[in-house]
Amino acid sequence: MTSTAATPVIDVEGLNVRYGDFHAVRDLSFQVGRGEFYALLGTNGAGKTSTLETIEGHRAATSGTVRVFGHDPRDRRAVRPRTGIMLQESGFSPDLTVRESVRLIGSLSGRTDRAERLLDVVGLTKKAGTRVSQLSGGEKRRLDFATAVYGTPELVFLDEPTTGLDIQSRDDLWDAVDRLREDGSTIILTTHYLEEAQQRADRIGLMHRGVFHREGTVSELTRTLPATVRFTLAASAPEPPLPGVPQGDGSLLVETTSLQKDLHVLLDWAREHAVELGDLQAGPTRLDDVFRSIGTE
Amino acid sequence: MLAIARSELIQILRNRLVLVTMLLVPLAGSAFYMYLHDRAPDLLDLGAVASVLMFLVVVMALYTTAVTTLASRRQNLFLKRLRSTAADDVRILTGLLLPVTAVTLVQVAVVLTVLSVVAAAPAQPLLLVSAVLTTVVMMLGLALATAGVTTSPEHAQVTTLPVMIGVLAISGWVGFTGTEELTLVKRLLPGGSAAELVVNAWNGGVAVSEALLLLAPTLAWVVVAVALATRVFRWEPRR
Repeated sequence: MTSTAATPVIDVEGLNVRYGDFHAVRDLSFQVGRGEFYALLGTNGAGKTSTLETIEGHRAATSGTVRVFGHDPRDRRAVRPRTGIMLQESGFSPDLTVRESVRLIGSLSGRTDRAERLLDVVGLTKKAGTRVSQLSGGEKRRLDFATAVYGTPELVFLDEPTTGLDIQSRDDLWDAVDRLREDGSTIILTTHYLEEAQQRADRIGLMHRGVFHREGTVSELTRTLPATVRFTLAASAPEPPLPGVPQGDGSLLVETTSLQKDLHVLLDWAREHAVELGDLQAGPTRLDDVFRSIGTE
Repeated sequence: MLAIARSELIQILRNRLVLVTMLLVPLAGSAFYMYLHDRAPDLLDLGAVASVLMFLVVVMALYTTAVTTLASRRQNLFLKRLRSTAADDVRILTGLLLPVTAVTLVQVAVVLTVLSVVAAAPAQPLLLVSAVLTTVVMMLGLALATAGVTTSPEHAQVTTLPVMIGVLAISGWVGFTGTEELTLVKRLLPGGSAAELVVNAWNGGVAVSEALLLLAPTLAWVVVAVALATRVFRWEPRR
């Protein structure tokens, strides 16, 4: 038992994916442990879709090894009964109803569940008898999620799950993901909404040009960049004690590696000179800034 | 597999155009023959008529529908969706093609039953059944290969033309002119030997062992079509 518990759910070693001359993924290696929430992020064309599709078993690796539950991910019979996949694009038959779609894809997963329960989870109970062609984009995403989590699989792939969802549906989806995690499911996420990854992921693999630009926990990723302080000053105010960079919106941006000390200096100076710091914000670097830094390096 | 077949059947039943085509082709074929038979009972060779009607149904109802269905299911990513489950490729394809194949077999049975009631029954029914079944398998193989080079359901209207016209022409040519001349060519062309087999089975007078040899070219075309299909069939749209 201890050996199976130690086996990573996903084990990628020296993965390369090429399309003709284009080298989409280069020597990528990483592991995802049981129960972990791993976010695979990247700029457009960074190779995250190629990586994800290889792990899902939709694509063959050009070289390297990918193991899911210790099996080749293309061995559907071994891997898929334990895996739920939410695709980036829906791919449901427009002439089937919502209930029929959940039943069909769910039953093919090899797991058992009730379509009614899943429709309730994603808030599509009232649409159960509606044809897929009549659904909105957000409703299709929710249907996709319902089929992916049919039978509470051990591993769930969420490929841009919240694109097109309103806030309420988004919160509902993350609540459902939280319940999956309580049951011990491992989650692999790709998203363009970085705050989702920042708030929820245990670890993040940040891809750029086919390799990991950074990989680690959220704090490991953001720690490498300076924290920021933002504020606005009246035109009559004296020169502030910290070198600020004027931003497009009229505010000043200060980057610092010692946030507490510099913030103290700034606040003391403001009180001494009776200056009001408008729209004051201070905090660690956000994932967005890590992303922006890729482009400038 | 059966779950996929069931959902496919539901989709066929909900698509009025497909449903109407499926009912219209055999009905029109039967009605046309009954009209001809009324006017001039001995004008046409019965075996040749059986062959033409059988090929008409199998090519129009099975081949073109199968190509269009596969192209459509790929275009809207339904194939990728099915491949995201535990079902393997053979089960997926079998499930998708099972309903249309079953419907086709019923259609052929109806058309040929009408023919045997209106005119005369086939001399060797078992031989006829083997000819129909091998033809169906051959057209399924050709449909898979054609689907590989078809990008959309609309595109299928173009890509199915060569095989559709070719097979219909060959079966009609062989059916009505026999294989006394150009024997080898006529038997080796796709559908040629199957058409000859239908004629023989309906009209009788040919030894079973000799007739069974005619299955060989059709089965060879199955092998060719499947080999082609494994090379060109795609599960996802080209990006």
